[in-house]
Amino acid sequence: MSAVDSQANATDAAPAAALDVRDLEVTFHRRGRDLPVLKGVTLHIEPGEAYGLVGESGCGKTTLAMAALRYLAGNGTVDAGQVLVEGRDVSTLSEEALRKWRGEAVAMVYQDPATALSPAMRIGDQVAEVFRYHEGLKKAEALERARESLRRVALPDPDATLRRYPFELSGGQQQRVVIAMALAVNPHLLVLDEPTTGLDATVEAEILDLIEELRGRIHAAILLITHNLGLVAHLCERVGVLYAGRIVEEGPARELFTDPRHPYTMGLLRCAPRFGMNKTDAALQTIPGTLPALGEPLAGCVYSARCPMAKPVCTRREPDLYAWPSDAGVKGAAEAEAMPPDPVAYSPHHASPVGEAARHARCYFSAQVPEMPQMAPVVGASLEARGASSGDVLEIKAVERTFKDGRKRLTAVHDVSLNLKHGETFGLVGESGSGKTTLAKCVTGLIAADSGTVTFEGKLMRSTAGRRSQDALRAIQMVFQNPDSTLNPAWSTRAILTRSVRKLAGSRSGSVRAKVDKLSADVRVEPRFLLQKPADLSGGQKQRIAIARAFAGDPRLVVCDEPASALDVSVQASILNLLVELQTSESVSYIFISHDLAVVRYISDRIGVMYLAELIEVGSAEEVFNPPHHPYTEALLSSIPKLDFDRRLQRIPLRGAMPSLSEPPTGCRFHTRCHRFLGDLCVQQEPPIQEAVTGHTYKCHIPPDELLAAQLADRPASPVEA
Amino acid sequence: MAPAGVVDDSRTQEMQADVAAALEQRRQRRYLVRALLRSPTFVIGVLIVLFWVFMGIFSTAFTQSPLAQHPFAILQSPSAAHWFGTDDLGRDVLARTMAGARTVLIIAPLATLLALLWGGIIGLIAGFYRGITDDIIMRLVDVLLALPVIITSILILSLFGKSLAIVIVVIGALFTPVVSRTIRSAVIGEREREYVMAARLRGERSAFVMAREILPNITQPIIVEGTVRLGYAVFTAATLSFLGFGLGPPSPDWGLTIATERVDLQSAPWTVLFPAFALASLVVGVNLITDGLSSVFSK
Repeated sequence: MSAVDSQANATDAAPAAALDVRDLEVTFHRRGRDLPVLKGVTLHIEPGEAYGLVGESGCGKTTLAMAALRYLAGNGTVDAGQVLVEGRDVSTLSEEALRKWRGEAVAMVYQDPATALSPAMRIGDQVAEVFRYHEGLKKAEALERARESLRRVALPDPDATLRRYPFELSGGQQQRVVIAMALAVNPHLLVLDEPTTGLDATVEAEILDLIEELRGRIHAAILLITHNLGLVAHLCERVGVLYAGRIVEEGPARELFTDPRHPYTMGLLRCAPRFGMNKTDAALQTIPGTLPALGEPLAGCVYSARCPMAKPVCTRREPDLYAWPSDAGVKGAAEAEAMPPDPVAYSPHHASPVGEAARHARCYFSAQVPEMPQMAPVVGASLEARGASSGDVLEIKAVERTFKDGRKRLTAVHDVSLNLKHGETFGLVGESGSGKTTLAKCVTGLIAADSGTVTFEGKLMRSTAGRRSQDALRAIQMVFQNPDSTLNPAWSTRAILTRSVRKLAGSRSGSVRAKVDKLSADVRVEPRFLLQKPADLSGGQKQRIAIARAFAGDPRLVVCDEPASALDVSVQASILNLLVELQTSESVSYIFISHDLAVVRYISDRIGVMYLAELIEVGSAEEVFNPPHHPYTEALLSSIPKLDFDRRLQRIPLRGAMPSLSEPPTGCRFHTRCHRFLGDLCVQQEPPIQEAVTGHTYKCHIPPDELLAAQLADRPASPVEA
Repeated sequence: MAPAGVVDDSRTQEMQADVAAALEQRRQRRYLVRALLRSPTFVIGVLIVLFWVFMGIFSTAFTQSPLAQHPFAILQSPSAAHWFGTDDLGRDVLARTMAGARTVLIIAPLATLLALLWGGIIGLIAGFYRGITDDIIMRLVDVLLALPVIITSILILSLFGKSLAIVIVVIGALFTPVVSRTIRSAVIGEREREYVMAARLRGERSAFVMAREILPNITQPIIVEGTVRLGYAVFTAATLSFLGFGLGPPSPDWGLTIATERVDLQSAPWTVLFPAFALASLVVGVNLITDGLSSVFSK
């Protein structure tokens, strides 16, 4: 069938699905082993529809996208099933046809925009290349079209952008360029693989708006792959939940998220901290167990090992993807009971959804899912009982730090002062480059402050760790962000902990082993993992060991720099619970850095907001997250994609890009992007620090009562002007 | 009774734990070894090098004496009696070629080890401390790199005399700058990692961080760099002895043999070509090992 025919088919005759994946099975071959990644995945995306595929790492999301575009790596094979894009079987295309098809009908946007763009080519040349290659345009025409397409993705000043190199653009702008290139060919199917992961919340919101806005114009079907449920809730009509290579639930986004019918979906929804929730309210829900490793044999239902409602029949035979609402699941369970147990095999003809209903769930007991038992750990002592009043444990005064970058001087932390009470958690939020991590490292002594003082328990701290006493080091420890580099890969876990105990706790050698065992028990790492090297541990386990290491010398302040950001949602919850629990039992204070506002809100007692090296707002978690608050905080809060379908805040767009740290704006540093900009006052004068209530201060020219009135007026209840 | 039982229990547990850890380590090592053994490049390289090591040690057991002269059989072409022919003193070229591996195989590995040791220390210090220390060290390294290896070694050997030990030290010293660069860049890649920061936060001394934290994580680039240097060291050692700065006659050393027999190159090419091929094969063997190692490591 020629391309023209299939086009005709797609438009005139019964419209073919934009993407039709049928019983797809993909296996990876690694180190001589066959690892099944996708096991009979079936999904269907109509033309113009947006479909969200969610799941945690290793469940096969990206593999599915790669298989759909025939981009599978050399060690991956499609063992069974079909991928039809607009009715055409992708596997039958010749190399030449495949190349043409990828350029004309489908496009993909990857997670990291920096790697999708060639660093050595100007943006204009890269975007124009798409038109020159696929439409055979001359250079001048192609550039003109490139300019248009950059305008379409709302890049400011397209002419200047055309002349720039990728490194001269911010992450958000780079992702816009990548999207512009993807849309340049007018694709019928657009695959977005974690398009906003790694971008700041405000940038993520911009990209989200862009995609939403483009949807009205381009009529492309979208396959959105992400672990971020809020993103899917925002963008997609239908959602599929993938677990261990299986679609476990599928249905319209709103229904699926408000009334999940598979225990895994329910678990995922429960373990992300709901916005506004605090640790004193309840511990976070967790999903017990860990994600199965790639290709791990799973008995019966893939989720049964972690499911709080699993029954014997679940491991007897795997359930099909039953229509919901119906009693198909119950019947399936009865059938499974009647048949001989066969936990390993699954029948390919059952891989497809059973029946034509809109919703499906791969569970025998979908009806009981709403009553799924809560899986929150019991937190011993009440958090309220902590004596969080007894004096300051840490006092930071006028800390300043400047880095040299060639001839430029970048001030990463500018005049920051704050204090921390005993047993308190101080949350630090702000976009990347705002100076959060630099400030944290000044506290721990990993980076020396140029000026200013850090006083800990009344004692002035030396500026670098190397010059601090062993007592001072033990008292202030740090948990790092990246689970893959936080532990020395050459050491066994036990060696890592033993060394920390020796250096920090200074115990006699007899009790070191006992202390190490206690630490690992405290962070719930089974003793057998102590024998392993970090490479054999999961991300969550590595982070637990890193936490145990920080607690080796009974610290009194632990700086946590995005400790759970690199982890999957279900693991993140258990790490946060662990930190809260350790705080209660060890009476330690935290400085907690995160870009995830819901997480910070959950764990923090007080919160500081940083923007361009300055601390612009400090207050209790409750106060900072409610008006009156700094306009920047307001914008930041409005940018989070929430699962809440009914109470969506109108997003406040931040104008322009983040200014450079080497030349911060005059007056108020936020004035270039502020939606409550007052005029010359903001440009010329540095704003005063205003006190909304005792202990809640912010740096802005607008006085608290006016700010409160303005911000309440803009709440979603009242009509919002754009 | 009970306390004793508890102690015993924990001891057995410890022992079991240690055994399991050792097994785990062996499993990982076994994976690397298996991958190497599956690489034909590596295996062929190892076989060639092992052949020469074996010959360097045991060749006299199979061949005639490399020094025995046969005045009535000079410059004979290869025959059943003398497979590689004889040289101008009637010595068996096969015996000399096989035995000639010995000096090169003493000089090159020792010189390489020296270069790794010195270059390792310099690279660790420069890469770990960075800043002014790094600047000064690396500028000095640049100066050393600008020296032509052969000319410098000839000058030094002329100055200090030409013993085997001095040749080893000179080659080792001249290879140090290159090695230190490789190791420095590997160290720089590691020092910003979070586990190094964690070590600083528990008050480890710099020497400990360099030797125990960073060094174990850069063994692969060090091994690859070592085999690369080994190939060059074979070359340099042969060149120096060709130029007369190695052992003197009647040693069967390849470089020396090529130098002394080259007058007969036209009339009796076998006297020169066999040692030359032998030298080439050793260098190729070492390079094959390098390629095999780096492709397995990079996976």
